Amino acid sequence: MSEPDARTVREQWGSRFGFLMAMLGAMVGAGNIWRLPYITGENGGGAFLLAYIILLFLIAVPGLMAETVFGRYTGRGVIGSFRSAFGRGRAEGLGLVVVLVNVALMSYYAPVIGWTLYYAVHSLLFTFSGAGFAPQAFWEAFSGSTTLTVGTHTLAVALIAGVLVFGVRDGIERVVKWMVPLLVLALVAVAAAGLTLDGAMAGLAFAFTPDWTYLTRGQTWITALGQALFSTGLGWGIALTFGSYLSKHDDVPLGGGVFTAVGNTSVGLLAIFAVFPLVFAFGLEPTEGSQLTFVTLPNVFPQMPAGPLWAIAFFVGFFFATVSSGLAITEVAVTTVEEETRLGRTGAVLAVSGIIWSLGVPSAYSSSFLGTMDFMFGSFGLPLATMLIVLTVGWKIGAERIRVVALNQNADIHVGSWWDPVIAYAIPAIMAFIVLYYVATNVGSSFAETAGGVALMAGLVVAAVAAMGAIRGRGESTDAVGGGD
Amino acid sequence: MALSVGGWISLLGSVAVLWGTATWALYRSLRDEDRKLELLEKQGEIDTYSPQALAELREWIRANPDDPLAEETRRRHNECVEILKRIDEPFYGWERRDVEALEKVEEA
Repeated sequence: MSEPDARTVREQWGSRFGFLMAMLGAMVGAGNIWRLPYITGENGGGAFLLAYIILLFLIAVPGLMAETVFGRYTGRGVIGSFRSAFGRGRAEGLGLVVVLVNVALMSYYAPVIGWTLYYAVHSLLFTFSGAGFAPQAFWEAFSGSTTLTVGTHTLAVALIAGVLVFGVRDGIERVVKWMVPLLVLALVAVAAAGLTLDGAMAGLAFAFTPDWTYLTRGQTWITALGQALFSTGLGWGIALTFGSYLSKHDDVPLGGGVFTAVGNTSVGLLAIFAVFPLVFAFGLEPTEGSQLTFVTLPNVFPQMPAGPLWAIAFFVGFFFATVSSGLAITEVAVTTVEEETRLGRTGAVLAVSGIIWSLGVPSAYSSSFLGTMDFMFGSFGLPLATMLIVLTVGWKIGAERIRVVALNQNADIHVGSWWDPVIAYAIPAIMAFIVLYYVATNVGSSFAETAGGVALMAGLVVAAVAAMGAIRGRGESTDAVGGGD
Repeated sequence: MALSVGGWISLLGSVAVLWGTATWALYRSLRDEDRKLELLEKQGEIDTYSPQALAELREWIRANPDDPLAEETRRRHNECVEILKRIDEPFYGWERRDVEALEKVEEA
């Protein structure tokens, strides 16, 4: 492996707590708060949780260790890490694919951050407890107003850029060190209030009563796999990027793997306690997803004692969850642009934010466009990025090699040889299975979107590889880790 | 609607496994960082591999002498051995006699 070609000394996290909160804040997002609760209730309650927890420890924890150590080992962003593994040339395009998927993902996530910002501000203005407040009309007025949706999208992008411009240590770390603990406290407060309501136990019964027959259904395990892989942020390039800012004495397996994956799910469990008692105490439909968050809950909080306070806790907490993820997703591209171009930090932040803002305007304007982007990049782009990162660690660098050389160096826990086949075989096979399953189950009902999604990803890989080949202008060099196992 | 016994077991089990593990991981991670910083301030350097990890590293180097990373891996191994022989207080659970028995790995 060659030495990094950074122009200045690379930044490092200021504290262990800052790194852990950044990882947790990155992975805890909207999916934890509105998705985990209802898929748990829909898929056998406690039985689903058992399946999910097993897969979390078997797949997500080792996977996050692999991604984080890849970044720590190379000390570079996504494209630089692929260059370290494969050498200069076309294969760097695989890293470019990961970056482009992140940019595309952030382009439609920024409008969602805008929604949460809008609701957080209105919770602080006590709008939801005002006389004659009508949640459905409020949501329709917001989502139907281009000024508001594009305006909040713009504010969200500007806010994230305003933090990122200060860097990893003085920007991201400084913000998430208080934002993530406050998010947890907010959810604890809402859960505590909800559990005191009549009918709250019915919500817990719905979420936790195990129906073991669900464990014999393939759909339960596929849903659990999808949640374990996607909600933990595995393979998005975030853990790689954040891992690249660790110091040489920092541990990877315990913080980057165990704490990140299990902490993320712990917040999801907290969301179950926060959301389900409310849902059942007020006789709501638990499977409404985003509709539940933005239409139903604003109507519930005013009916609770000290309701405006719980509305503030929930919506500000929800905003913190989305913005901390937005910071991380954007940082993947910012780190790479800063390393790979002549732009400095500010220039990289402005360039990436400008692209994200431009690409995000259609998603802010049209929720159906946002849904299409989510279907294509969430269903096919993220698994592609995960496959590229995990296959590179498992096969190009070599699972055993990176575990023995780098993962167990300065580690707080020892990772044994069981890890190697999980990285080399299990995660790639599962990701491939999930993608094929999505294609098979969606191709009939939405052929154009499914075929378009697959074609887009294939085109993205071909174009990125060709572009890097053209940029480098020459064949492969020997600036690489070398062959795999 | 009351929670069944199975529901309670599921609820408490999830809390114990998830919140328990996350809390333990956070505590252990922060405690180990404090310990590393304390040793770094005191000694200027700390051992980089546990006894088990260093033994695995040594075994891997011997099994893969021609690997492109063999040189870097030997350097990492030998650096840890040298540090262990210089310092009084290792971070990992090294016994003095095991440290004294450690040898550097030379190029094959």
